[in-house]
Amino acid sequence: MNKFLAVVKHEYRKVVLKWSFLIGTLLMPFIAILISLVPLIIFSIKSGPTRIAVADQTGNVLARLQKNLSAERMMEKAKAATSEQFKNIPASQQDKMRNNAAQFIQDFVIEPVATTGKSESELRSQVLEQINRGELDAYLIIPSDIEDPNAKFEFRSRKGSDFISNDTFTDALNDAVRSQRLSDAHIDEAKLASLNERINLDSKGLDESGVEKDNSAVFAASFAIGLMIYVTLAIYGQAIMGAVVEEKETRIAEILFSSARPFELMMGKLVGVGLAGLTQFSIWLGTAVTVITVAAFQTDLGSILGSLPAISPLMIALFLGFFLVGFFLYASIFALIGSMVTTVQEGGQFAFPPILIMLAAFYFCFAVIRDPNSSLSFWVSIAPFMAPITMPVRILAEMPPYWQIGLSFLTNIAAIAALVWFASRVYRVGMLMYGKRATIPEMLKWIRQA
Amino acid sequence: MSDTVSAEVTIRASNVTKRFSDFTAVEDLSFDVRAGRVFGFLGPNGAGKTTTIRMIVGITAPDQGTVELNGERISYRLQNRIGYLPEERGLYKKMRIVDQLRYFAALKGVGTAEADKRIDEWLGRMQLSEWKRKRTTDLSKGMQQKIQFIATVLHDPEVLILDEPFSGLDPINVEFLMDVIDEYKTADKTIIFSTHLMETAERLCKDIILINKARKVLGGSLREIKESYGKNLVALRGSNFGPLLGDRTLVSKVVSNADDIEVQLANGVSSGILLKKLVDAGSSLTKFEEIEPSLNDIFIERVKGTDE
Repeated sequence: MNKFLAVVKHEYRKVVLKWSFLIGTLLMPFIAILISLVPLIIFSIKSGPTRIAVADQTGNVLARLQKNLSAERMMEKAKAATSEQFKNIPASQQDKMRNNAAQFIQDFVIEPVATTGKSESELRSQVLEQINRGELDAYLIIPSDIEDPNAKFEFRSRKGSDFISNDTFTDALNDAVRSQRLSDAHIDEAKLASLNERINLDSKGLDESGVEKDNSAVFAASFAIGLMIYVTLAIYGQAIMGAVVEEKETRIAEILFSSARPFELMMGKLVGVGLAGLTQFSIWLGTAVTVITVAAFQTDLGSILGSLPAISPLMIALFLGFFLVGFFLYASIFALIGSMVTTVQEGGQFAFPPILIMLAAFYFCFAVIRDPNSSLSFWVSIAPFMAPITMPVRILAEMPPYWQIGLSFLTNIAAIAALVWFASRVYRVGMLMYGKRATIPEMLKWIRQA
Repeated sequence: MSDTVSAEVTIRASNVTKRFSDFTAVEDLSFDVRAGRVFGFLGPNGAGKTTTIRMIVGITAPDQGTVELNGERISYRLQNRIGYLPEERGLYKKMRIVDQLRYFAALKGVGTAEADKRIDEWLGRMQLSEWKRKRTTDLSKGMQQKIQFIATVLHDPEVLILDEPFSGLDPINVEFLMDVIDEYKTADKTIIFSTHLMETAERLCKDIILINKARKVLGGSLREIKESYGKNLVALRGSNFGPLLGDRTLVSKVVSNADDIEVQLANGVSSGILLKKLVDAGSSLTKFEEIEPSLNDIFIERVKGTDE
């Protein structure tokens, strides 16, 4: 027992005291936040205002275009574009959003060009001259016959690749022309807008007790937990394989086997690395829960975050439980592979099938999130090798009956027992076989002999 | 010199056989190892040395026969009393020396405080103290081998098994390690030393066993073995030997060395007879010495004998 604990301690320290572990554990949350913030930051960096000469041959569109490009109008559009759940946010939050959104609004300086008595080509050469002198960035010539669907609007810009500005400008122009056409046809714009309004479908899921949940938040959280388990299992499984191959490659195994039982050594390794993984997983989960809770109380984001599914201590315990089950399943496979091969590279090829199963389980998560109560969701959350990834997702999407959770644990623990039995037999022979990779028939023979 | 075997038997192998699916690695092997004496476990590569050692260490179990330590059958419970330096050996590449040594000590049941004390002691003795916090990759190969030796003896085992301990070491470190092994050898320690290098075996071992092709070829006290092989080689220096050395009833083989002549006596001829005949023939002798066969000669002769 003391030797077993010595192995556990050794393996735990070996993983946890590495820089990569510290960086992975502490920086991962920061990196995740950073990654989500970077696009915001980049897009909030404004380029200078775009100076556009507009030659309006109708005389009516220019005013509408200027109005559409005004800050208030752009704010309204930005608001309309944001997702449905932002509709119900409190007023103070709206102010904040307005300020933020204002940073995204591109500045346009419109320079009206007098059109009376000038032909199109005269107008063009006039504005081109100004652009060449650097006084303007772009020009727009609005044709006089805007009712004609084939009417040609001519827009040329030095900043042709500034897609944000271009999109904004195109939208504003489209709206301006459309409303001018409507007004020319004597149709009330407000009336049309109200007739055109999309219906407001109030879509929310119900859980067993009839409490409403917001589906998109559930989707995000379930996806996150599935991904977190999948990534940790893959990383730690391969870490086990690397450690086993190292001991075999350096022949340390010979010294270890002269000091302790192979079973103690293998289990000590699995438990030690498993605890290291559990440490990291707990820190991540703990950080996520803390951040969400603190944020919910301290900031106005409360109402958004409130729509996230409530994570109870029971759920956290179940997540950790399924993580451990998954770890032992995959780690014993990886330990087995490690003891069969001679180099890490060789192990990499054999690691492909288990990784594929993990990946399949991860993809099944989408089906589980869509319908947590389908028979497919039931089977993939009970099946060995799949359940450690799919069951936590299902629990978060909608708590299944307890007997199903129990059954899932049972089938997977049975699978672990079988695998550990199998792996420890291969391990004790494989670790002392040097020079060549073991074949499957050889492996089966070791198991029979052991 | 009385060399009768007196010390008590610590390790006893009785009729040990170990088979792998298609071949027999060790067949019906029996030997005794005595405390306080270095036991040489000799044989060409592939003779079954490592397999036998693994059975003594408890890594594998014999298919037939028994291996006992002080009358108790080898099992995991006895592993703490044995120190094993394998032929193929290594260290964790990226781990500090002190951490690896602590781990190996813990696996042999030595507590951290005691282990730390012994680690400092041994590192000092091996002149490696300043390397304590370095990683394996910073050490030269010779240093790594010294560390491996320390890992083998940290738990102060009563049986020390060294499989080719000098392979890859430079002569200075071979000398150094031999001295350390010599110091370790006290009345209550048993050292099993496996090698295919006969010169080192000759220098270190009191008892030997020679195996070839899974079977025992020869065994017992080195002195007795040599004596039983000796007495038919004589080294000569001088002049006026006349036709005597050409007489095949007297001398079966003559080898001229740089500064002497080595002759092998014919069957039934003792060195005394040769000396008398030489003196009678009026030869002038500056050297006449009975020489022992080297272990290397015995090894080659016996291994060739069993190979044929």
